[in-house]
Amino acid sequence: MMMRNDERVPRFSFQERTIHWLAALSFLYAALTGLALWSPRLFWLASIFGGGNTVRGWHPWGGAIFAIVLGFMFRNWAGQMRLDAEDRAWLRQAHRYATHDEEGLPEAGRFNAGQKMLFWTQAISMLFLLFSGVVLWFPETMPRSLRLAVILIHPIAAIISISGIIVHIYMGTAAVPEAFRGMIQGWVRPAWAASHHPKWYREIRKRP
Amino acid sequence: MSLPHTVAKLIDTSSCIGCKACEVACQEWNDQEFTLGTGGTYQTLPDLAHNFWNLIKFNETEHNGQMAWNMAKYQCMHCADPGCLRACPAPGAIVVLPNGTVDFNHENCIGCGYCITGCPFDVPRLSPKSSKVHKCTLCSDRTAVGLEPACIKACPTHCLSFGKREDLLDQAERRSGQLRADGFQQAGIYNPAGVGGTNVIYVLAHADRPEAYGLPRDPHIPWTVWLWKGPLKWMGNLILLGGVLGTFLHYVRYGPRRVHDDEE
Repeated sequence: MMMRNDERVPRFSFQERTIHWLAALSFLYAALTGLALWSPRLFWLASIFGGGNTVRGWHPWGGAIFAIVLGFMFRNWAGQMRLDAEDRAWLRQAHRYATHDEEGLPEAGRFNAGQKMLFWTQAISMLFLLFSGVVLWFPETMPRSLRLAVILIHPIAAIISISGIIVHIYMGTAAVPEAFRGMIQGWVRPAWAASHHPKWYREIRKRP
Repeated sequence: MSLPHTVAKLIDTSSCIGCKACEVACQEWNDQEFTLGTGGTYQTLPDLAHNFWNLIKFNETEHNGQMAWNMAKYQCMHCADPGCLRACPAPGAIVVLPNGTVDFNHENCIGCGYCITGCPFDVPRLSPKSSKVHKCTLCSDRTAVGLEPACIKACPTHCLSFGKREDLLDQAERRSGQLRADGFQQAGIYNPAGVGGTNVIYVLAHADRPEAYGLPRDPHIPWTVWLWKGPLKWMGNLILLGGVLGTFLHYVRYGPRRVHDDEE
């Protein structure tokens, strides 16, 4: 395939990037302030964000903003995140993707199966975080049995969500060079698109 | 110099006459205003409040076909293993004083309300005004200078005593014996082991039925709180740390997946 390498392939639209970074900022705030409230040994994190009272006051709002932004992200991408048979085959051999041995791995579309899994992990843990978070927000008005349940549900969902994001940040920065530019400036080189998302690249090539 | 001894409050419910002097003394000493509850009962309020830490529960029960009034003073139990402290995320907000008092330090309290969930006795209350949690302090500001708590001072029947915990347990044992000799065969002490014992000890004429006094039968720190602050915390921290270390090691072992211009 012939390509010009000074060409810029549009990867994410301005709207998609705005939503992504709003989600990223609100997530980071909610996660770091949440960790401050998770354990007395991590309470020092609260001082970075204005002290314990400020954190107790604003962590729920950070989470609420994250939930709303994630709603928009869902509207943007949910349709493109459906896992098909090829994705499932990809996931079964995900270790080969991780070890840079991609020979024979099904080709990725706009999102590879790993990215899709991240999306659904975040979407589902968000539902749990939101529901349990509202209960924790107003403890004095909530029935005791519910409070006793959400003190487990909220951190479990948070740990799952944060674990996913740790891998996501690593993938998006160090592990896959250029992916970051795709999400910040919105474009990638043709070679990058063809290598990482060949199925998607062929599709957009066909378009006039 | 000797270590300060553990102090306790003894409530002999059999000699409580429901005069509420302890309630008044508590409100006075702690300078608290509150709105009187209504509801056709002798009880001042249906439950404890952020500005009402000491409540005589007027428990109406039946005993041998007769109506009985099991009056019982209710407040923070000052547990040896406090569930509130277990649940609290803010260092120094809940402290156990050398004499065993479980005290809240309001400059460190962030008002998250986790202690309310952690407490097996449902005692702490969030103040809508201060956004902090309040409860009985065992009059730590009085005991620190050798005074007894305000409620103890006000009690006219010696139903309430304050002193060394060991001494009071002996006293409670003697009083239970008296009650048993008087025909209350089930008389005994309420000092629940599930929370490591409490520094508020009751003598109950019907110790086989603590519920009849509004006291939980076998209080424990809720298991979800234990799981949350125990194994889940360690597992969670391990997973998060493992994620950071794992990705770092992955980079060291496999490095970035670069795409050069001349690639396909």
